[in-house]
Amino acid sequence: MNKINNRKDPLEVVGCARGYSKEELINNLSRHANYTPNLIKQVRSLPEVMLRNSGNTTAKKIVRMMRDISGEAYKAIQFTRTEINDRGVLYGVVLLKHQVIDKVLNYFHDRWPQCVICLYNEHTCTTSVINEKGVIREMKKSLKRVVETISKKRTTMSYFEDIQFSGEEIFETLYNTQNINERNNPRYFKSMIPEYCYKLPGLKKGVERRFTPQNKKIEDFF
Amino acid sequence: MPSILEKIRILGASSKFDICASTASSRTDKYPKLFGDSKKWVGTTASAGICHSYTPDGRCMSLFKTLYTNSCIYNCKYCFSHSCKQRVSFTPEEYARTFMKLYSMNVVEGIFISSGVCRSADDTTEEMLEAVRLLRFKYNFQGYIHFKCLPGVSQSLLKEAIALSDRISINSEASTKEFLAEIAEQKDFNNDIVLRQRWLKENRIKHNENALKIVKDLKQDNQSVRFQEKMINDKRDNGYKKFRWDGAPILNSGQTTQFVVGAAEDETDWDLLKRIDWQYRKIDLRRAYFSSFIPIEGTPLANKQAALLSREHQLYQSDWLLRIYHYKLGDLKEVLTEEGNLPKGDPKVHFARHYFKEHGLVDPNQAAYQELLRVPGIGPISAKRIINLRAKKVKFKRREDLKSVGVVLKRAEPFLVINGRNQTTIDNFFAPNNTKVLQGGMQ
Repeated sequence: MNKINNRKDPLEVVGCARGYSKEELINNLSRHANYTPNLIKQVRSLPEVMLRNSGNTTAKKIVRMMRDISGEAYKAIQFTRTEINDRGVLYGVVLLKHQVIDKVLNYFHDRWPQCVICLYNEHTCTTSVINEKGVIREMKKSLKRVVETISKKRTTMSYFEDIQFSGEEIFETLYNTQNINERNNPRYFKSMIPEYCYKLPGLKKGVERRFTPQNKKIEDFF
Repeated sequence: MPSILEKIRILGASSKFDICASTASSRTDKYPKLFGDSKKWVGTTASAGICHSYTPDGRCMSLFKTLYTNSCIYNCKYCFSHSCKQRVSFTPEEYARTFMKLYSMNVVEGIFISSGVCRSADDTTEEMLEAVRLLRFKYNFQGYIHFKCLPGVSQSLLKEAIALSDRISINSEASTKEFLAEIAEQKDFNNDIVLRQRWLKENRIKHNENALKIVKDLKQDNQSVRFQEKMINDKRDNGYKKFRWDGAPILNSGQTTQFVVGAAEDETDWDLLKRIDWQYRKIDLRRAYFSSFIPIEGTPLANKQAALLSREHQLYQSDWLLRIYHYKLGDLKEVLTEEGNLPKGDPKVHFARHYFKEHGLVDPNQAAYQELLRVPGIGPISAKRIINLRAKKVKFKRREDLKSVGVVLKRAEPFLVINGRNQTTIDNFFAPNNTKVLQGGMQ
């Protein structure tokens, strides 16, 4: 704490272009699962220069929390796999510990503005829905039930009827064709899809799983 | 009749050596929307750059990357299509539907459409364009499309491709016409490739200048600069409603090109660097891609040795120096070996060793922006931070001060003088006169 109060040396906080602004912290920290109101009080009381100082323990903790939040939202956007039915309801399953479901829903809403989007969060066992107008609601119901209820109220749309076929095999085939064996780089692959990502619902049964080092066949070693 | 899966298996494999980055288009963020604000559009390029999957070689898989057809009238010596016995082709409807399915699954971000040249470049391009038109106007897809332009395509088709795509690329394959003739004798370097690149530049600039004028006029008349339906529905192009508003800039992700590294005998890194430098200056190339030559069985170059991946990596590093750090081509020439290739290791470090030995070390409290950029471990962002902080009268007295602005000290330290001190070798320590410090630096 002594270090926090040391405001004499401006070079301690020379990295003023790094980190997050106070406003960003106040707006986003409450999304974190370990958020406490005390934390916001701390953020409000500290000068911004201290919050951006990577040597400061409080700042370190806060930056880590912010990274958890943005990282989780980004991974969910990357690796959530969705389905769309003929009535324009897009649905999928996510695993979000922090409150970033609105970010993920808005991402899909930007892409499919005519659709109602339903995402079931395995962590909270709730289904969040965003409608065509961008209004978000949360329900304590199963994904299947929510999708059924919403679909009943909508008419069949020829646009979505057109793409009612299984795409998993198509993606798997495409994925298998894109790899260049001569350039295999397991370390890089692992850094791009870290181990914890395989716990996400989208990747649990994903084709990528087969290429992890644990799934190597004996022939691969020879 | 092969199934869609079979087509993807064959055409996907044929396109795996084509390189593309993940989506990159500023269309919806900075400029008026090309297709308007209507809710009927699907997809976006605003949150571009998201990769939904990675292959075991570490490359991201963010685009639906397949050939349209693998039939080809060309006989390029390095090309995959030699070894492919089965000739297949998508139909426009199949292609568009398959992509939309994958897009709805959130496994791809956009399209990379390339093709072999079946019958003629115009015939194949017409079919590829039909697939893109279907996506844009039947499936209302507003997302990212990278269109690979075929060598020798006519200007009218090129114009339409520009209007429908976010990025266009024409493969240069080699740096000069002699090297191209060596690996793809049927292609005419100047006519089939360079001329088309010039057309792309001219059409893009012409359209975007007009677009700016339209927006300016609307602003002067206090009218909305947003896209309006009435502005586009009065004409018909190719059976579709006129599809874009003239006030929106086109081809926001610019044009790119790709080289096969190591396929042509005697082609050096210097040849490639000269070519990309020319393309950056003369045809507004956005970026160049390099693909290390890998011999494929059944091709005339099957017995040729594969190019080193490190060579490709060094070319990317040098390209980065030209494009982002604005090094001069002559700067890179200084670090080349006698054969005209880049030496092993990071070209920036090689250049820095050469440059700072001559000009003296850099004091971050005095050096100009361009000077800071020449120090390994200092990139454009950290250099800007240093300049900004200096403007606020902040002095850098310790190594940690630089670390906290994002400088990679391990790489930068040998070239820096911080508070009168610098990292040195024992030999140099006993001969302190060897150390010069840059005063003021370059402008």
